[in-house]
Amino acid sequence: MKDIVSVDHLRVEFATDSGPVVGVEDVSFTIAPGETVCVVGESGSGKSVTSLSLMRLVEFGGGTIAAGALRFRRADGTELDVAAASPSVMGEVRGNEIGMIFQEPMTALNPVFTIERQLTDGLMLHKGLSQAQASARALDLLRSVRIPEPERRLKQYPHELSGGMRQRVVIAMAMACEPKLLIADEPTTALDVTIQAEILALINRLKRENGMAVLFITHDMAVVAQMADRVVVMYRGRIVETGTVDQIFTAPKEDYTKALLAAVPKLGEMKGKPAPERMRLIGDESARAARIAPVARKPQVLLDVRHLTTRFPVKGGILRRTVAQVHAVEDVSFTLNVGETLALVGESGCGKSSCGRSILRLVQPTSGEVWIGGRDIGALSHHDLRRARADMQMVFQDPFASLNPYRRLKDQVAEPIVNFGLASGAALKARVEELFDRVHLPRTFLNRFPHELSGGQRQRVAIARALAVNPKLIVADEAVSALDVSVQAQVLNLMMELQEDLGLSYLFISHDMAVVERVAHQVGVMYLGRIVEIGPRAAIFENPSHSYTRQLLSAVPIADPTKRRFADDLSFKPIKSPIFPLGHQPAPSVYTEVATGHFVLKD
Amino acid sequence: MTYVLNRLLSVILTLFLITLVTFAVTNILPGDVAMMIMGTQSNPAALEGLRQSLGLNDPLLVQYGNWIGGLLTGDWGTSLIFKKPIAELLAQKAVASAIIVVMSMTIALALAVPLGVWAAVHRDKWQDTVSSSTALMGVSLPDFFWGIVMILVFARWLGWFPSSGIVEPSEDFLGSLRYAFLPSLALGLGLMAHLTRMTRSTMTGILGQEFIRVARAKGLRESTVIWRYALANAIGPVITIAGLQIGYLFGSIIVMESLFGYTGMGWLTYQALLNRDLPLIQATVFVIAAVVMITNLLVDLLYVLIDPRVKLG
Repeated sequence: MKDIVSVDHLRVEFATDSGPVVGVEDVSFTIAPGETVCVVGESGSGKSVTSLSLMRLVEFGGGTIAAGALRFRRADGTELDVAAASPSVMGEVRGNEIGMIFQEPMTALNPVFTIERQLTDGLMLHKGLSQAQASARALDLLRSVRIPEPERRLKQYPHELSGGMRQRVVIAMAMACEPKLLIADEPTTALDVTIQAEILALINRLKRENGMAVLFITHDMAVVAQMADRVVVMYRGRIVETGTVDQIFTAPKEDYTKALLAAVPKLGEMKGKPAPERMRLIGDESARAARIAPVARKPQVLLDVRHLTTRFPVKGGILRRTVAQVHAVEDVSFTLNVGETLALVGESGCGKSSCGRSILRLVQPTSGEVWIGGRDIGALSHHDLRRARADMQMVFQDPFASLNPYRRLKDQVAEPIVNFGLASGAALKARVEELFDRVHLPRTFLNRFPHELSGGQRQRVAIARALAVNPKLIVADEAVSALDVSVQAQVLNLMMELQEDLGLSYLFISHDMAVVERVAHQVGVMYLGRIVEIGPRAAIFENPSHSYTRQLLSAVPIADPTKRRFADDLSFKPIKSPIFPLGHQPAPSVYTEVATGHFVLKD
Repeated sequence: MTYVLNRLLSVILTLFLITLVTFAVTNILPGDVAMMIMGTQSNPAALEGLRQSLGLNDPLLVQYGNWIGGLLTGDWGTSLIFKKPIAELLAQKAVASAIIVVMSMTIALALAVPLGVWAAVHRDKWQDTVSSSTALMGVSLPDFFWGIVMILVFARWLGWFPSSGIVEPSEDFLGSLRYAFLPSLALGLGLMAHLTRMTRSTMTGILGQEFIRVARAKGLRESTVIWRYALANAIGPVITIAGLQIGYLFGSIIVMESLFGYTGMGWLTYQALLNRDLPLIQATVFVIAAVVMITNLLVDLLYVLIDPRVKLG
């Protein structure tokens, strides 16, 4: 066998109280030396189970390899039947001949051991190195993954490193024994887009330099397009389709692959289009009228934010006094028209969520004004604010956490209506049913509890609840980020449909540039609490004028294998700290208008 | 350093409040100290004279002031029943009881941690059931029952340990450990239950963490993964619970020392309560409160060594 890995009719079962459940079934694929194979699929597709089976780690999660063969060609040329190997042989292979990196850099490192200890223990175990030799090798490894100040990092603990640095340490750990195969299970899913770009480029370089094969597990078709030589598409525990990356993207054979690709927004595909467009989903009735008519009426301002500033205290010292401030939102101004979507984009910690919350006064802004429909929200009394909240609703990221697990869905959707005294009795019942229809949920769901629904269905309930009081403005904070791509597309289409029918305005807070390009009329790019660039969608995406906007756009993976961008090492400027000493008086935000309605922050 | 000072300050403040409460409560209690000393049939004039000399006729505030002043200067008064200076009495008994506290906590941890880890590793299997049942039994049965079982098994039937009595540690340290063992074991079994449950639940959480999977993916031995990687993370909360149990332990010690005729602080407190020896009660309550608070402060400081993420300040 020339392949380094060959998986043949793999079947993995999980023992449950009600008998065995099949995790994956009839999975077969091969990996050649030096090749990157991407396994792509949505949640529950079995992609992680497949990768964990290759390491025989699946058994620690209660799974058993019930049938099929997993062959791995070892460094000495012999072929190992992974499914039948003894624990001691697996101990030699794991971390030594197969390296693995995982999704969550924040939790992948042991918080109570130093970086050095975690980098060296595998080396001492597998390669028989002394402590001093292993430490020297650990330092080399940190250099090869381009961590700044590698000597200092060795003595540090994981919490002292940023997420991007931690993922580099995890990669260094996986690379320590120079494995022939690297398994990367969603290695960049939890990272910001610029750090994702850096990590993807790093994996590409290490693969090239070491002639290593890579098994890359992801849900993100754009990452697949950027990384893969060959692609394995999985759905519900089975392989749907395999092929080279070009075949999969240009001529997918199976309906599922086609549907998956249709649901992925591709950065740049909205070029030259005047207004947001719904996605043309295969088999989705509501997508027939795929195009949202440009808003015909005269633009009318709904939300006017002026010099909004929000700072959070950092407490310290014996008396818990404020010793510094987080400048979460710093002199932010914009307007949002009736029936339009303004997207706030930026990386984690840029202040986009704090901005949304400050507008609704869920957190108290430090200064600035927020006008909604001609009313100054900041000046409202507690009582009036409660009334005003009917006009402005919020949809949160995590539909699992934002619904009460102990209450029936109909009661949760009815709650805001009852709260504001808008309807009762039969009228209330009719209104809730209408809302369920509105978000395309069957009325049979009325009496269900949140745990009986999928993530997408729950987010529909959250949207129905927000719609219940006929709001004018909906702040959607990463509302589709936790959803699978096909579900995400459906929820986005629903949101656009509701906007068209009800004239809603969205403040759409997101980190995903490709999604934003789909849904937004206006885009504001946030960095360190400020809007660095704001303007019509086309202007931001086609003529990005602030250096940060350009950096952000250059880091977005494009779901098109002919547009590869992460070949060589990338290093973006790390984002500065938003914490400033107490007396710090930041300069006001001053903008240059580079084109009509397109403003860029003066640095 | 400011953190330690800060915490010490709060310990001192709490101790001050405790002196107020103990003083108030012991003074509200019915009964006349002078009458307790001299007996109910004694001469009223002599009683009055004793009250004068004990300062019992002074205003309460003055009495409190005298007591606090004494506490601070080392003059803790004289025990009514033992007719000895309380400070001397406590110093002697405290060592004997410290042996029991340390030994019972060591026994509890030595049993609870492996049992909890074992249960977490084999979660939802028979091992888990055995571990939880053992823990549940330990906590459901009162300490004195374990004391009786210990006396029966180890003293009466096996004859390995003495069933009663004490050897002063200053005279024969190893001998004193022998006498302290059975009461400590009985106390340890009671303490073990919570610690086992705590170890199990924190270990279960830790074993589900990504870094455990990463450790396995590195090819580390399973024993290293569990006893080094996981336990180092799980031990913090267990130690915290152990620290909090010190307070509970002082309650149990009263019964257990009396049961074993082990004349330590617990026994002393029991005697003081039985005979309404108010100065002695006040002093023991104060000492126990101080020890519990200082132990918990030490546990919090220990946390810094265990978990690098915890910073003082």
